Amino acid sequence: MISYEGIINAIVVVLVGFGAFFFLVGTIGLVRLPDFYSRTHAATKCDTLGAGSILLALAVFNGLEPSSVKMIALAALVLLSSPTSGHALARAAHRTGLDYWRLDKE
Amino acid sequence: MKNAAVASLLVIFAIPLLIAVAELPPFGDPDAPIHTHISARYIEQGVEEAGAENLVTGVLLNYRGFDTFGEVTVIFTALAAALAVLLTSGGVQYFQEDRPPAPPKGADESERPPTPVSPVVLFVVRLLAPFIGIFAAFVILHGHVTPGGGFQGGAILGAMFIVLTIVLGAGKVRPRLPEPLARWLQGAAPLSFVLIGALGVAFTGFYLGFPPEHSLHLVRELMMVVLEIGIGVGGAAIFARIFLAMEAD
Repeated sequence: MISYEGIINAIVVVLVGFGAFFFLVGTIGLVRLPDFYSRTHAATKCDTLGAGSILLALAVFNGLEPSSVKMIALAALVLLSSPTSGHALARAAHRTGLDYWRLDKE
Repeated sequence: MKNAAVASLLVIFAIPLLIAVAELPPFGDPDAPIHTHISARYIEQGVEEAGAENLVTGVLLNYRGFDTFGEVTVIFTALAAALAVLLTSGGVQYFQEDRPPAPPKGADESERPPTPVSPVVLFVVRLLAPFIGIFAAFVILHGHVTPGGGFQGGAILGAMFIVLTIVLGAGKVRPRLPEPLARWLQGAAPLSFVLIGALGVAFTGFYLGFPPEHSLHLVRELMMVVLEIGIGVGGAAIFARIFLAMEAD
């Protein structure tokens, strides 16, 4: 017997699990990766996919309400602004001549 | 000798202040006067008396209107002080219209040959700037109902202005805020307080007095909204002006 609420909860659990996974991976990457570029790459995943899918999960959990629209708008904002800031950071670093990590440089 | 005089003067002023601080009730003490009288009054009658559903705004604009008046005047004075420092430390030619254009643009300002701004950043900022502006207006106008208000909304509006200046370059943004208009906008917060204060005299006989009658409910809210807009626009104009002055350096 599958109820409506059961389906909603399943979607929410999947989305929150997805977001939590990306937050975990992004945080590990931020600490463990070797240079600026790869760390930026990892940190951007946290905001984009982690926060984005957790906000979507909250909107689904909340149901059809005005506050859900705000959450989706927030998710869209994060989806737009986080990659842009990551891009701007990496571009600035590249333009100022920051060298990147290579295997043979060790 | 001079240093010794200054030091002794500081000590003389510090001792009574320290004694006074020691006399204050301990932080978080439930028997302190603020918890027995003032908070209770604000919470129980604040919405009715101050006319703002958001208690913080009620306290800020009505109960402690004079305090906020002083605050916005301090912000305005800070602008004057910041400009005095920035403009006298080498940037007096800033006011001349014929100063060489092409300030370094984009996120990488330290780069020697000025690089074009990234198309990604340009697109996203152009896309988001109107929404940031709408959100700032929402925060300012909703200040007396929901969390927010002039100070917060003004910060958002100023941030929009700053991000546009960084991405589009000051040359494109500065003409949108011509100097004669900007001067009035920078003083908007204290000016709106003076205006509403005078209105308060007309209604209640007290400077910054809000009419307490229920029939004048709308007038009271309108006065608050004008104050919020003044604080927001004034704050944003001040942020923008300081940023432009620093950018010109």
